[in-house]
Amino acid sequence: MSVSDLPTKETNVLKGHEGAVLAARFNGNGDYCLSCGKDRTIRLWNPHRGVHIKTYKSHGREVRDVHVTPDNSKLCSCGGDRQIFYWDVATGRVIRKFRGHDSEVNAVKFNEYSSVVVSAGYDRSLRAWDCRSHSTEPIQIIDTFLDSVMSVCLTKTELIGGSVDGTVRTFDIRLGREISDNLGHPVNCISMSNDGNCILASCLDSTLRLVDRSAGELLQEYRGHRCKSYKLDCCLTNTDAHVTGGSEDGYIYFWDLVDASVVSSFRAHSSVVTSVSYHPKDNCMITASVDGSIRVWKT
Amino acid sequence: MDSDEEDFVFVGTPIEREEGNTSRKKKALAEVSGQLRTLPSWKQEVRDEEGRRRFHGAFTGGYSAGYYNTVGSKEGWTPQSFTSSRKNRAEVKQQSILNFLDEDERADLEGQLGTSSQFDTFGFTTAEYARKQAEKEQQSRPSAIPGPVPAEIVIPVTESVGEKLLLKMGWRRGRSIKDSHANSLYDVRREARKAFLALSSDDAKAHLAESELAEDDLESFMKHTVKDDVPASQSTPLFVLNPKQDLHGLGYDPFNHAPEFREKKRSRVSSNCEPGNKKALSIKESLFGLKSGKAASGFGIGALEEYDAEDEDIYAAEDLSDAYVQEPEEPSRSSTDDKQKLVWKEPGVLPGFRVASNSDYQQERFNPPVIPKDFVPRHVFLGPLVTDDKYAVPPPLEVNPPEDNSLKVLIDGVATLVARCGKLFEDICKEKNQSNPLFSFLSGGNGHDYYAMKLWEEQQKRSNQSKLALDGKSTPSVQKMTAESRGKILGERPLERSSRESSASVAPADTVNLQFNLSNTFTEAASFGELLEIAKPFKDDPAKQERFELFLKEKYKGGLRTIDSGGINNMSEAVRARERLDFEAAAEAIQKAKLGKESNLSSVQLMEFSAAGGMQFTSGGLEKIKDAEAEDLMAKKMYPKREEFQWRPSPILCKRFDLIDPYMGKPPPAPRMRSKMDSLIFTSDSLKAKNVEETIANRDQFPLAIYEAQEQSKEVTDQGIELEPVEAENVERPVDLYKAIFSDDSDDEVETSIVNKADPEKKIEAASNTLSRLIAGDFLESLGKELGLEVPPDPPYSANKDTTPGPHRELNNGNGGSANTVPSKLMSSSDRSAPGRTPGNKQELHDLKVSEELETQRSKHIDDNLPISNRKYVKNNLSEKRSGEVDMEMAVREDRRRKSPSSHHQDLVSCSSSEDDRSRKHSRRRQHRSRDTYTDSSSSDHRSQYQSSSKRREKGSSREKSRSSRKHSKHRRDGSRDSPSRSSHRDTGKGHAEGKRQKRRRRD
Repeated sequence: MSVSDLPTKETNVLKGHEGAVLAARFNGNGDYCLSCGKDRTIRLWNPHRGVHIKTYKSHGREVRDVHVTPDNSKLCSCGGDRQIFYWDVATGRVIRKFRGHDSEVNAVKFNEYSSVVVSAGYDRSLRAWDCRSHSTEPIQIIDTFLDSVMSVCLTKTELIGGSVDGTVRTFDIRLGREISDNLGHPVNCISMSNDGNCILASCLDSTLRLVDRSAGELLQEYRGHRCKSYKLDCCLTNTDAHVTGGSEDGYIYFWDLVDASVVSSFRAHSSVVTSVSYHPKDNCMITASVDGSIRVWKT
Repeated sequence: MDSDEEDFVFVGTPIEREEGNTSRKKKALAEVSGQLRTLPSWKQEVRDEEGRRRFHGAFTGGYSAGYYNTVGSKEGWTPQSFTSSRKNRAEVKQQSILNFLDEDERADLEGQLGTSSQFDTFGFTTAEYARKQAEKEQQSRPSAIPGPVPAEIVIPVTESVGEKLLLKMGWRRGRSIKDSHANSLYDVRREARKAFLALSSDDAKAHLAESELAEDDLESFMKHTVKDDVPASQSTPLFVLNPKQDLHGLGYDPFNHAPEFREKKRSRVSSNCEPGNKKALSIKESLFGLKSGKAASGFGIGALEEYDAEDEDIYAAEDLSDAYVQEPEEPSRSSTDDKQKLVWKEPGVLPGFRVASNSDYQQERFNPPVIPKDFVPRHVFLGPLVTDDKYAVPPPLEVNPPEDNSLKVLIDGVATLVARCGKLFEDICKEKNQSNPLFSFLSGGNGHDYYAMKLWEEQQKRSNQSKLALDGKSTPSVQKMTAESRGKILGERPLERSSRESSASVAPADTVNLQFNLSNTFTEAASFGELLEIAKPFKDDPAKQERFELFLKEKYKGGLRTIDSGGINNMSEAVRARERLDFEAAAEAIQKAKLGKESNLSSVQLMEFSAAGGMQFTSGGLEKIKDAEAEDLMAKKMYPKREEFQWRPSPILCKRFDLIDPYMGKPPPAPRMRSKMDSLIFTSDSLKAKNVEETIANRDQFPLAIYEAQEQSKEVTDQGIELEPVEAENVERPVDLYKAIFSDDSDDEVETSIVNKADPEKKIEAASNTLSRLIAGDFLESLGKELGLEVPPDPPYSANKDTTPGPHRELNNGNGGSANTVPSKLMSSSDRSAPGRTPGNKQELHDLKVSEELETQRSKHIDDNLPISNRKYVKNNLSEKRSGEVDMEMAVREDRRRKSPSSHHQDLVSCSSSEDDRSRKHSRRRQHRSRDTYTDSSSSDHRSQYQSSSKRREKGSSREKSRSSRKHSKHRRDGSRDSPSRSSHRDTGKGHAEGKRQKRRRRD
């Protein structure tokens, strides 16, 4: 993918959130996107047409993260009210609420089979919740983190959490091992490369770090943006050719994966870019910002 | 008629023939015509055409013979109806001649003579049979030796012992062992049946049924007899090699159901293979075929052919429907293949090729590489290793350490030093202490064996370490297992070992190794001369700095230290050891700085070292050179660090992820080692992780980390006592310790018990906690051992040591706590004591730091005043003397320290070691015992002291850091919040269940 293919043209602005948008996520096939924010709502959009489809209201405080199942039937979300909500997409009703985190929940993800929700909390724990049974107790609590867990990623066999204690911890269910990669700087977001071999971790020293998962080696560092105090998302492009992430000055940066040079950066928002999400197939990206807007970028 | 009768006189009984006849006739007519016919057969009377009943005789049935004078049966000759449904399938009954025989006939038949394998006494028949079988098999494959296999090859000439035994026990050759059992079972059954038959023969119905049964049994008997032969052949282990020559899958037999094709195939193959032999084989085949009766089996038997046993067998064994077997590519290919094979057999010629008379190909030969002249065919290590003969030295016998602890310590120390400095040291020691009875172990006296063992151990360790150092950074965590380490692995710290990972923090380990290396070799002198003016890490403490310099000098200048420089000093062994480690670390850091001058790494290293736990030797400030770039470099070098731990996913999680639980069926996971460290140390946020890693990484350099830990904890406690405003340091306290300090023991227990009840998960947690605490206790003990002092197994002041929170207390008391509590206790006791005693106590207090002349003076003084303390003093003095001799470098440093102006009481508190404290305490206790007034007060005193100190600590810590305390309060809050919510959960659950039950009841 050449630089010209990077999604730098704004095609749509999704407006509706009152207050900061904390996360924006494409769904599994990239046709829709979900956003959540400080206005305690989750919104479902069609980013390609710029249409707001549905609003999910039930959270008592800000919603920090949202994730949708691969079959688009269920949502899970979490936020400041220490609960994880398990939604039915079509009806907009809450199917279940998982309580148990001792404080705010930073991130939430479904597993591959949508049977488990894994949440990462400020209470230094990762918790796994069972969607199949009616139990609201967590089926697993991982509390080896030393500080707030900011982000979670799941693979078929692993739970990966990034924490402010500077570690990215991989919990391999199959092996029963915990692998802790200490990056030395608070990690506020992790995201997997599409090939699943690397973890991109956004650290609070304004650096994105690309870590090889198998060996724990630091492959590359990406600098240039500003990330000192906000939880800013980062991700790889659909082809794993570039790394992208927001900045606290409202810019979006694109780095070359290999040589870590900034290939593109432009001002996307008037304020902090909290979240970026790349389309799974196309050259399309959505960014969310504290300024309350979600922007859709295409080539 | 009547008149006639009147006229005649009748004599006798008239035979009423006519009358009867007519009436009977009438009757018969009537019966024939109607009513009697409707009667069931057994009510009908059988008469002849004249209507008479036939009398067969009194014993042959009377009027009724057979079945009511018929040959029929109750059922008559009505055919059995055939019913078969899907569920109840009619079995195909195989009829035999026996089915149609009467009882007596059957009996006759059974009595007939026949061959039975049972009576094949010498196994000849079966042997013969087996041989035949083997022959058959032999023929079924082409072999190297054409023709029938000679019997000698197939059948073993001699019989084995086992066979003999079996034969004696009744087993006959050719029969499987199981068979006899089956037969006996059958025999028993037959006997039983016969008996039963005899009993019930008159009961027709039962009889019939029984006869059927008997038939079944007979059938099965027949089967048995047939079967008996089959296993008979199978059980003879005539081993025949059957090379696989077809292209079918392994074990696949295309002729499984069609043996006749096999014959054909075989003949074809054999004809292909051995055209010369064809005729003979075919003849044999035909012969064999006739014998086995299989030649025409596929096509039935003519009606006129005679039945014999073998023919019957054919029907039983073979299924005609399966006669058509597809033999895919085999026939077409095999011929060509075989031809090819035939050609192949001519040496080294491909089909269609001819052997060339001369070949171009010549094997090329290369000359071996030329070995350089100066090459030594043996690897020579660069470093002056303690050579391999170390390994050749056989380990001395395991000897129990001497009872006298001090002697043990002494021996240990000397052994260590000798191992480090070489034989020379031992000699010097021997020379110097010839008169000293304590050193008799050097020259074969008391404890010599132990000394030898210890020395060997130390040398082993040392050589390992130096080896390790030479191995380089690539394998930092390679460790040779010594008995000690193994012991550690097994006993004292199994968990640490198990969770040991290769860590990135290699540097400290290497450095210490390097140290050992250096001290081993007595080299590296010159370059370190200028080190002294470069780095003065202990600027704040001139005495210490002085000692450090001395240390450096001695370290790098080489040679041995002398005892005289120190004399008796007031530093305890532990403190000395700790300080020495500090020094070594610092020196190492400096050295690195020196070595890596050109790179910025140096200062960073130094800094890194100080950050990683060497804080103590700076305490005021080793000047840190802030170099962002270097820091960056270092960080890059350091991170990312990878560690691995065990982690136990819950079974349900595995299930949901569709994975197999890796811990399925295994006991609950061992607690992580880290938790132990957490509970042990008050560490700052920034330091903790590093410390942990270090301890993980340099397990062999264990003392270093521990000293650091100790010192840190001590520092904290010191801060607590002194109530000095401390600069904000992120001290994070683990919850366990927190609890152990602030909550009552009983409280704690209640809590845990509640928790135990509340939640299984919590239970596990609690268990792991207690385990970790126990480990902490263990750990402490081992630590004590490392320091060469004895940790009393059950200190009297912590009676509740066995309960869960105990070890923590013990920990505090043992390490930090004793350091601060004892002196204060001393103070208090001295305060309370009579004024006359005061000077003695005071002196006791000073006893640790005053110099020699003072001491002699004092001893005089004590001799005058205090016999009890005098006794103690002597002991103290003695031990100190000993320690002084053992650890000379320490002594030197201590000496410096003693001279330093900064040594006042506070100093004493901070640097007095637990060992000294302990010894003091012991003696003190002895004193207490003599003085009744303090015996009971001491413990309570101590307790209160302890509590107050902890409270003070609390204050200090709460002041010094907000974050962690916030966290903790949060935790506590959470905990308290948690439990009611959980209970309410339970309540609701219960309520729910109850509601359900009620509902059910209502429904019922």
